[in-house]
Amino acid sequence: MPMSALDNNERLDPVRTAVTLGRKSDAASDQKNTHCKCAVITSENFSFYYGAKVGVKDITMEIYPCSVTAIIGPSGCGKSTFLRSINRINDLIPHTHIEGKLLVNGHNVYDKNTNLVNLRQQVGMVFQKPNPFPKSIFDNVAYGPKLQGVKNSSQLQQIVESSLQAAALWDEVKDDLKKSALALSGGQQQRLCIARALATKPNIILMDEPCSALDPIATAKIEDLIDKLQNDYTIVIVTHNMQQAARVSERTAFFCLGELIEYDRTVKIFRNPGKKQTEDYVTGRFG
Amino acid sequence: MRLFIRQITNKTFTVLTGASVLLLTVILLIILGPMIWRGAKAVVFKDTIEFRQMQLDLYNRGNPAGLQREADEAENCRKMVYETIDKFKHGIDVEELTDRTKQIYRQFGKELRYKDITGEEYQNIHSLARDLRNKLQAAFTSNDKKVIQENIDYILQYRLDKDLTDTTAAEYFTLAEEFRQSIENIDFNKRQQYAASLQQVEEIIFRLLGPRPGVPLPALTMDRYGATRWDLARKLLDKLLWSQQWIQQQAGQPLVKVRVSRAEEFAGTTLEPLFGYVENNLDKILKPQVTFYWQYFIDDSTPGHYFGGVGPEILGTLLLTLLAMLFVMPLGVISAAYLVECASDNMAVRIIRMCINTLAGVPSIVFGLFGLAFFVLFLVPLFGGPSKPCVLTASLTLAVLTLPVMIRASEEAIRSVPQTYKEASLGLGASGFRTFMKVTLPVALPGILTGVILSLSRVAGETAPVLFTGAIALGPLPKSLFDPTRTLSYGSYDMAVGDRLAMMVPHNQYGMVVTLVLLILCLNAMAIVLRARISRKLRGH
Repeated sequence: MPMSALDNNERLDPVRTAVTLGRKSDAASDQKNTHCKCAVITSENFSFYYGAKVGVKDITMEIYPCSVTAIIGPSGCGKSTFLRSINRINDLIPHTHIEGKLLVNGHNVYDKNTNLVNLRQQVGMVFQKPNPFPKSIFDNVAYGPKLQGVKNSSQLQQIVESSLQAAALWDEVKDDLKKSALALSGGQQQRLCIARALATKPNIILMDEPCSALDPIATAKIEDLIDKLQNDYTIVIVTHNMQQAARVSERTAFFCLGELIEYDRTVKIFRNPGKKQTEDYVTGRFG
Repeated sequence: MRLFIRQITNKTFTVLTGASVLLLTVILLIILGPMIWRGAKAVVFKDTIEFRQMQLDLYNRGNPAGLQREADEAENCRKMVYETIDKFKHGIDVEELTDRTKQIYRQFGKELRYKDITGEEYQNIHSLARDLRNKLQAAFTSNDKKVIQENIDYILQYRLDKDLTDTTAAEYFTLAEEFRQSIENIDFNKRQQYAASLQQVEEIIFRLLGPRPGVPLPALTMDRYGATRWDLARKLLDKLLWSQQWIQQQAGQPLVKVRVSRAEEFAGTTLEPLFGYVENNLDKILKPQVTFYWQYFIDDSTPGHYFGGVGPEILGTLLLTLLAMLFVMPLGVISAAYLVECASDNMAVRIIRMCINTLAGVPSIVFGLFGLAFFVLFLVPLFGGPSKPCVLTASLTLAVLTLPVMIRASEEAIRSVPQTYKEASLGLGASGFRTFMKVTLPVALPGILTGVILSLSRVAGETAPVLFTGAIALGPLPKSLFDPTRTLSYGSYDMAVGDRLAMMVPHNQYGMVVTLVLLILCLNAMAIVLRARISRKLRGH
């Protein structure tokens, strides 16, 4: 393994630098926010198979409400697979099967009589590459509420405005909501996708590498947004970028080759990882 | 060295591809060019006064006062033609003359009975008249100039006879006098030949100038007018001036066709100046003018497309095309949606796919027969309709014809919608159906429109499927879905294999084909513009 040029003591501590960007202290996050309409995701020995190939194996973890949980790991370790199982978007892929239980808000997601529509309205998702519909900005954000049955145009207008404000996009687009969503920049499109996900008033927001296709300025904006949103929503973010995980999350899970290696507070994972594999990954010795 | 070879191959590739595109363009121009040039002659051409007269009579178009003035001017020029012909005719058309003689005799006999004369006088005058009649007939039918002269001299003796002047019988003398004048230059050996040739000349003049003024109008519309187009008039003029004859040039050799000038043929006779006169004054007789007959695309036509335009055909083609697209678009899109979204990859679905691909290559005549057997003879009667070819069955057949193309194009379009849109929509809680209708279909629309464009051309131009299921060559506009209709494609076929009548109007044959090509181009252009608009909106402009 190629060693870092600096020795152990002098190496750049990602956590210390990240911590100065304004992470919440551990004590504060332990308290449950009283105004938070939070939910919990529980995974009990959950496994996901693509045909015969293993996606993830035996994942047991709990995701706590009103916080940001990051999932990190090298490529192909099953982070996205796990994330996409939470709102069952993986159903689009044929020939897959699961084992174990995955509970969202207390209900087993893979139960036979799960209402997928309800589930997906409670669990919003933001994808890696911004994918707004080729419609106007207004129509994009109003898509979810319209599905929920909101027909009143003033109500829709209000929902669209509040979602765009929550996504920190309102000031930039309020002059022309009828403009096509594809005319926005990459960062704006991703914030639009977040606004779109927020419009259905979910409890949980899943983010699958949301900043990997964006430039640093847009990335910073989105990270600020995540910081703002975590007061009211449970956010699970998959990221390739360790520094990002250190910047935004309270808890971090480290996946490797389909298994959950370690899951603990971010500070601990980065400063004082329990497992050797984790330490090797966060210090950059592999992955 | 290697770099040099690579450069050469690159250059050769560029040159070859450029040359092949050029070749394609040239071939296209060679095929389309003459067709469009000749078809354009159906709309922009030099017309004649006959054409303008026909437009006024049949379509109520034009300025009657102005036309009347022109007709009077032309009339003066035409008089000379008719007079020349008549004069010559009387010299050789003995049948007419002998008939006239008999007529005069009968009429004179009737007149005589009412006259106040004695029985004996009656007998004398009557026998004189009979004598004159016989002599006149002998003069007409004889081939010997001397005999004719004798007879005519004999007849003319009685010119001043008091019993015959101021009666019908006086006409005998005028006939005799005229006959003497007209036979002066005639070579009697050639009388038979003259008669035959004269008939041809009269026929050509009839085609050129139309029926004579004062003569009752012929029954067929096409015979009521002379040459309506200047190019047709020039062709007829050529036929007038030159006749084709078979001549034995060498003994023992087969006969050779040779062009003989008719002026030479009639040399020395009173008919000779006719040819020079017609040649020099044809423009005064017919008054040609360049015209832009855009109503060609609107007008109905006379039977056989001799006069008029292709209006009903255009309407028929448009009706069938649009109805067929109306049937096939929902069916094609729904089938494609099923194949992409719902069908699992088992044997049944694979067989269905194979069938669809095979159907795309089936010859169109098979579809025509299928349409006849299934739609005309089975399906429509099943629902209580009449079992005859009609617009409904024809458009259903055309829809079935173009269904595989539509399904294939739609399938490609739906498949090419990025998965991310579907994921985003489902992630927001939409059902599969909502996702398809609100997200997938709008994004797939340009591809589906490509299928529409491909189908339009095929449907508009197909002849075989409509042959048995709803096309007619002659008939009124369809008043309901259960009437047959005329189409451009079937009309082109009908004109191409038609009889001599169709050959006389080549501009109409080309015109119909060019109209079909232009119609398809227009439909395609509209669909392409529509597709470009939708594409642009989807891309975010």
